[in-house]
Amino acid sequence: MSKHEMLGAPRGAKQRELACTINGEDMKLEVNGAKRLLSVLRDDLALTGTKRSCEIGRCGACMVLVDGKPINACLTMAYQCAGKQITTIEGIGAADGGIEPIQRAFLEEGGFQCGYCTPGMIISVKALLDRSPDPSEEEVEEALSGNICRCTGYGGIKRAVQRAIEWRREAP
Amino acid sequence: MLLKRESSGKRWRIRPDGLEKVTGSLAYLTDMSAAGMLYGRVLRSPHPHALILRICTEKARQLEGVHAVLTHLDVPGLNRYGIAHQDQPVFCENKVRYVGDAVAAVAAETAELAELALTLIEVDYELLPIVDDAERALLQDAPLLHPQGNILHHSQFHRGQLGSGFSACAHIVEDTYFTPRQMHTYMETEGGLFVPQEDGRLTVYSPTQHGFMDRLQLSRITAMKQERIRIVSSPIGGSFGGKDELNVQPYGALLALKTNRPVKLHHSRWESVRAGLKRHPMKISMKTGTDASGRLLAHQVRIIADTGAYATLGAEVLNFTVEHVLGPYRYEHVEVDGYSVYTNNGMSGEFRGFGGNQAIFALEGQLDRLAEKLGMDPWELRRMNMRMPDDPGPFGQPIVVTEGAMQVWNAAEASDLWQERGAPNREEEREPWLKVGIGSAFTMHGGGLGVGIPDPAGGRLSLAADGRIEAIFGYEEFGQGLLATLELMLIEQFGLAASDIRMIIGDTDLVPDSGSTTASRATSMMWKTLQNLKLPFTSQLLERAAELLGISVDKLAMGAGGIYETAGNTLLLSYKELAEAEGERISCSTSFLFPTSDTSRTGAHFLYTYAAVVVKVEINQLTGRVRVLDQYHAVAAGPVMNPQGFLGQIEGGSSMALGFTLTEDALMQQGQYMTKNLDTYLVPTIVEHRGAVTVEPIEHLPQGDSYGPRGIGEVGSVTLAPAIAAAIHQAVGIRVTKLPIEPELLQNDCAFAFAEEAVSKR
Ligand code: FES
Ligand code: FES
Repeated sequence: MSKHEMLGAPRGAKQRELACTINGEDMKLEVNGAKRLLSVLRDDLALTGTKRSCEIGRCGACMVLVDGKPINACLTMAYQCAGKQITTIEGIGAADGGIEPIQRAFLEEGGFQCGYCTPGMIISVKALLDRSPDPSEEEVEEALSGNICRCTGYGGIKRAVQRAIEWRREAP
Repeated sequence: MLLKRESSGKRWRIRPDGLEKVTGSLAYLTDMSAAGMLYGRVLRSPHPHALILRICTEKARQLEGVHAVLTHLDVPGLNRYGIAHQDQPVFCENKVRYVGDAVAAVAAETAELAELALTLIEVDYELLPIVDDAERALLQDAPLLHPQGNILHHSQFHRGQLGSGFSACAHIVEDTYFTPRQMHTYMETEGGLFVPQEDGRLTVYSPTQHGFMDRLQLSRITAMKQERIRIVSSPIGGSFGGKDELNVQPYGALLALKTNRPVKLHHSRWESVRAGLKRHPMKISMKTGTDASGRLLAHQVRIIADTGAYATLGAEVLNFTVEHVLGPYRYEHVEVDGYSVYTNNGMSGEFRGFGGNQAIFALEGQLDRLAEKLGMDPWELRRMNMRMPDDPGPFGQPIVVTEGAMQVWNAAEASDLWQERGAPNREEEREPWLKVGIGSAFTMHGGGLGVGIPDPAGGRLSLAADGRIEAIFGYEEFGQGLLATLELMLIEQFGLAASDIRMIIGDTDLVPDSGSTTASRATSMMWKTLQNLKLPFTSQLLERAAELLGISVDKLAMGAGGIYETAGNTLLLSYKELAEAEGERISCSTSFLFPTSDTSRTGAHFLYTYAAVVVKVEINQLTGRVRVLDQYHAVAAGPVMNPQGFLGQIEGGSSMALGFTLTEDALMQQGQYMTKNLDTYLVPTIVEHRGAVTVEPIEHLPQGDSYGPRGIGEVGSVTLAPAIAAAIHQAVGIRVTKLPIEPELLQNDCAFAFAEEAVSKR
């Protein structure tokens, strides 16, 4: 075994084809199966909206949607993504190229400061509202308990989520 | 008036850096990459204290794909760094003093290869006895961590006669307070991209709070002229003081220069924990006495701060604590004795609140204890002893006249939450093991670096060739909303539209040195800069416009999009047309110093922000857990520059204080971190952050005050802990002296009996 193989490093290591959909686009990627989705997204595809912070599934900065469910990309191995639909923050937004109401709510309520947790936060809110359009406060807390924000104190985030819920309610 | 969206009107604005943040398109500096880029990694000491006998890098160098392996032998300039004292080695030569100490660094083609290369570097250590306790470091026979001894800094202050002060006291309380090694936990860990340019210059893309300070320090290390280094330093995914000191920059810079290739470094969370700064753990002993009526007579304080292996800003933080243990009160007899002590524990340094948090927790605790002894309302005791508007500062130094103390005291007194304090349990039926209490605390918090520390400020306004008005500052955006505040000030003070403005920050090639973005100073200094520039810049623009239009200057005014005729309010000339007109480029700049007190006491402040907090908590006597139900913050900091940012800073600061109070402690044993990541180091999540945070800004300044807005970046984080401690005492009668609060302390056997009874009834 060469050193590179030993490392699971891309160079010379056994590459497998990974077929999946990322942000609506069919992809065939050559990746080593031992690689994590976070690294595939950030390092190989330059989709850096998905953030890296704890890498142990605690902070939610790396949250993406896999078949509509919120998943920590830092805990997901590349091979687990075969055949899946992956949506990152870059794939969130209105069809006309504008932004999602959730994103607008974060903007208007000041639901972020440094913004590093924000993509993951928005992904979690999206997953929540897609499955439960009118969630209780406890549901919101539970859905966001895996997303750490060190800057805002969560007040702005809660206001943003409430606003997004109202907008959804008002929209036909 | 309470601060919220509804009460802010048009001033509640979407941040200029917002859209990119919510769409994920903003490239943080750790998101960047470059063609041909190598990955850097740093080899750190596994031991908290050891001699280095031998370093062998041969095997690592031979690994294919490894392009550089560096040790202390490869540092061309000064092998040391530090903002105030350059005593931290870039690479250790013969001794390591903590588990973050760097011994070598590598650059390789992949991150995995770099990691493997680290394992191939052989270092022989001879273990030395560990000093893992600051108090023990002071003992005669303690191993010496630095040739000059184990004391980094000793700071004293005294006034009056302590002995006779105490003998005149009717009541004296004495206690010792302990505060934790809190971690900044910025969500973006340290990192960046280091790019050698074709002309031999080096570009550094790496977060910092003061680009020019990094440039100076890197020039010392690399032995390159400062002008040969360009620092790009914003945007930043959080800092809170933690990225002010160099972190990855020396390694990235040296590796890039050695390999002549771009090098990327990005700390893993664990590496960030072991190498990064923390809040100084402190042990603060206080003895405080009053006369029979409650007037404070004497106050004695001893502070031991664990500063870790190297100096960084340990001395400055201690000075701040010594000032803030005196707080906004009057006493005749005072003695403070503080030590900042080297240990083999992790590095302590600058952290939001800068040593005020520890001080206020202890001081406010003393006031509460005295009130209890006196049988007095604790808030009334504070009013009785509070400084008056033209009293001098804590050290007796002249400070700006301020009514802040009384203003926040009054506001908190009048708040609904504090009015509820007589009967906090009333409104709801609770399980018998749930107890509710309300507590309050208050503070004065200094802004700026203080006397004796260079504290320059300033900025520039220019009309760019494309007609944009450029505001150019050497400050950094790390999430606090500096850009949003600057934009709003430009709109309001110059009548501009957002689309007329280009803000340029965070690039040493483009901006003037405006001093550090720290110490709650940037908003004040941007405001002052605009005040200074308003007249010269506006008159230059209007004079040029007057020439072009053939209309006299006094009939013209600046507005959205261009120059208007004041009488008819019609747009006469766009900024673009003005920029295209012939003539010298219009540009004005100013530089000045942060205002300081006329005293020789190093670190003493001149401008202060005042804050009072009221908090309602619920204690579960089964689990010993504390839940915050409601918070009220009154903040006297002059006019609010940016309502959304103001609210966010107080809410965010209070969340950080919640962690400081209840869960956060970077535990160490024998110089090793026990809490390596966010699974064991617990910062508040949305679940812990219950209830509302009500913020009431007090904008009124005394007549003739010319200093404008005071900083609020830190003050939200300093007063919550003592307020929670007071609320706990009201609820369950227990005095807390150690943070974070240990649940065991609040568990109650009777509660278990209650619970059993309740369960058996069901
Ligand atoms: S980086 Fe994946 S959860 Fe923190
Ligand atoms: S906005 Fe900085 S971590 Fe959430």
